[in-house]
Amino acid sequence: MLERLMNIDRRIIFILVALAVIIPTFLKVSFPITVSEPTRQIYTHIDELPPDATVLMAFNYGPSSLAELEPMAAAVLRHCFKRGLRVIGLTLFPDGATLGDEVIKDIAEETGAVNGEDYVYLGYRPGRIQVLLGMGSSIESVFESDYADKPLREIPMMNAIKNYDHIDLVLDLASSSSPAWWITYTNTRYNQQIAAGVTGVMVSELYPYLQTKQLVGLMPGLLGAAEYEKLINAPEKGTAGMSVQSFVHLLIVALVIFGNIAFFIRRRKEQ
Amino acid sequence: MIFEKMRQQIVVYALVLVFGCSVGFSQQPAPPENVNAFDTPNDAGASITITWDKSPEDGTGAEAVTGYHVLRKSGDSEFEVITKSPLTAGETRYVDKGAKGGPAYTYSVQAITASESTVNSAETAPVKAVGNWFHFGKRWIFLALILFSVAVVYSIYHARRGKEIFIRRIPGLEAVDEAIGRSTEMGRPIMYILGLGSVSDVATIASMNILSQVARKTADYEMPLRVPCNDPIVLNVVREMVRTAYVNEGRPDAYQEDDIFFLTESQFAYAAGVDGMMIREKPAAIFMQGTFYAESLILAETGNSVGAIQIAGTDSDSQLPFFIAACDYTLIGEELYAASAYLSREPMLIGSLRGQDYGKLIIFGALIIGVILELIGVTWVTTFFQRV
Amino acid sequence: MRRQVPLALCFIFGLVMMLAEFSPHPVSQGIRKEIIDWSLIIWPFALVLAVASLVHTHWIRIRRRAEYWQYSYLVFIGMIVMVVIGIPFGKRHPAFVWMFENVQVPMDATMFSLLAFIIASAAYRAFRARTFEASLLLAAALIVMIGNVPVGDFIWNKLIPFGDDLPSTARQWILDNPNLSSRRGIILGISLGVISQSIRIILGIERSYLGGGD
Repeated sequence: MLERLMNIDRRIIFILVALAVIIPTFLKVSFPITVSEPTRQIYTHIDELPPDATVLMAFNYGPSSLAELEPMAAAVLRHCFKRGLRVIGLTLFPDGATLGDEVIKDIAEETGAVNGEDYVYLGYRPGRIQVLLGMGSSIESVFESDYADKPLREIPMMNAIKNYDHIDLVLDLASSSSPAWWITYTNTRYNQQIAAGVTGVMVSELYPYLQTKQLVGLMPGLLGAAEYEKLINAPEKGTAGMSVQSFVHLLIVALVIFGNIAFFIRRRKEQ
Repeated sequence: MIFEKMRQQIVVYALVLVFGCSVGFSQQPAPPENVNAFDTPNDAGASITITWDKSPEDGTGAEAVTGYHVLRKSGDSEFEVITKSPLTAGETRYVDKGAKGGPAYTYSVQAITASESTVNSAETAPVKAVGNWFHFGKRWIFLALILFSVAVVYSIYHARRGKEIFIRRIPGLEAVDEAIGRSTEMGRPIMYILGLGSVSDVATIASMNILSQVARKTADYEMPLRVPCNDPIVLNVVREMVRTAYVNEGRPDAYQEDDIFFLTESQFAYAAGVDGMMIREKPAAIFMQGTFYAESLILAETGNSVGAIQIAGTDSDSQLPFFIAACDYTLIGEELYAASAYLSREPMLIGSLRGQDYGKLIIFGALIIGVILELIGVTWVTTFFQRV
Repeated sequence: MRRQVPLALCFIFGLVMMLAEFSPHPVSQGIRKEIIDWSLIIWPFALVLAVASLVHTHWIRIRRRAEYWQYSYLVFIGMIVMVVIGIPFGKRHPAFVWMFENVQVPMDATMFSLLAFIIASAAYRAFRARTFEASLLLAAALIVMIGNVPVGDFIWNKLIPFGDDLPSTARQWILDNPNLSSRRGIILGISLGVISQSIRIILGIERSYLGGGD
């Protein structure tokens, strides 16, 4: 019996996880969110930028990690547009091009931000690290036009934004190693301020950069989105997802404890 | 006559008053002093740095200086303002990144007040932006790299002289033979996954080195070696490499090019494709070596579910816990790089590992000394490393 | 000769790229950029070979009527449809966007969301307090998991009268201290390994990637 419990069929666990996801979705429970320091650091940094400052947002995620990273993108965009900051969007991955375009358009529409004046979406260019380095000398040398193929020199907002000297903060929303590229190539070489919002699984990897202040802040997965939504007082998808995530975490903790109890009973019997 | 004299006196008083008022109302601030322009060190030759001492009225007095503009000219041309918006009061440094190599530029710094009256500083001497061949700011990193390289090269050539070098046991690599043997006994294929890295990732090259050793063994046992690739360049390099390994083992006929194939570049489509293969073909041994992201656990759990013996290795540290949980053996970080030396037992390769240990020793030493000095209040070591 | 040429090229380009990292001069940066451009040019040619490999693999599967050979037709259909719509009409054409949003997005999201299920089953199987070290890791994992979601603080604050928000504070402490120091250790080891491996490759001592032998 104990042996069977310890080697429980993975399909049973899958069903339990599915239930832990589906039930809270319908119950619509919510819990108070405590904001972590790394997320607050991003919020404070953006909140203290002068009104004509520019934030560059890199939508470096694909459809797979959309659920975790798009709520973050939306929350930060809301904050920037409400403060009247200028936003430049781009992506280093082809999958991210359409996703970045959609989220920036949606939030601009909601907040009344104007394309070409309050924000510019540059889309995707191949080359990854070469793109980062190229923008150090001139953004136009890498992105000669925006995502809708409008030449940058015809976009009023870009008249005053030529390279990293005119960008106050880079926020990398990432599901892979791109935050390390920004740190290595733009923070080290151009002294550019970098913040990151990453998938939950990657968070611990970036803590060393946070402590060395190579990152001004860090948003951890869906929780980061929920925390940011709390800071700007606009609960959306991140906050909604927290109840589901809470139940799944509780389930996993319960499973681990249960598995260990069974393990200890068996060990005692064996002894 | 008296009237004439009075008239003259009134005119003089009026002139004095007007002059006094004009001086009083449009009083200019004192200009910034000691303005100095020099070629920015350690750059490609596209910038000049300008420094100055604040105006004495910077932020103080009735006509306080509220900001500065930097002006530039070349040759006999007129000065042009090069700062888009005024630099805030208190600033004493500006880097002109538009000073492309070629002409010599002269600079002046203009102090501005709230009433928008301005005063220019004295001109600087003409300066040219020149590119530097060596980045002196990176000299310590360069020195450390040279020292470490010398230690590695010395160890390699020391090993060449045939001295036996101890190398600790790495269970994951000891299990390679076991995994291949098990596949042979079961008559099931071996699957080798190189991860999502490109050929420029050192982890992918390390993985190729292990694959080369695995390929020699599968050539001997005539076992099918399935390698689904995610990167087009990796695919072509791996095909050539495995073919050479088979030729070197004297089994060119056993080499099957179709077993090394391109699946997709998309991360999760790749995971889905490889999972499908695992379930259909039920390989007896699965190697996962290289750079992995979120797909690591999806692959490892599927491999676990088909009962394969799994040997993983990655330098993607956030994926290590997943591999440790779902695989039989995991090479952690640097073990992946040591694998080629371990498997081939080539003295020169093993020697390089000793060089690596010297590097670690130096870092440990620096860490311990740094911590002790910091605890007793000596901070220059920490400050030095922070600057590096 | 067949082996010497690639080894010599590797040595020259490796050394140049390394030195260019320390030289900001426009000439050295120009050479560096040129080498990177060359390496980028190789990619499209390799992609052609890769696509040929994909087509060949699935064509063989169909011809040999391998297991589930019917799915190989889907590969060809997907490939042709995306190319036929994507190339002439561009990335913003509604048909292309529709396919991206309604085919690729849900499929990728499905694969990623499998992680939730798989993590649960792997955690159940692997998180056992077999030894003292494993028990420490297990405790840390449970604290981080609970502190990572708002329900952790919620339950704690409701049940325990002291230490407000302790789960999330403890989680942050674990991430900031034990996690950070161990990760630094791994990063140092990996970095030294990378340099040592690179030296071996540049000097031509490591040549297994060329198929081994001399």
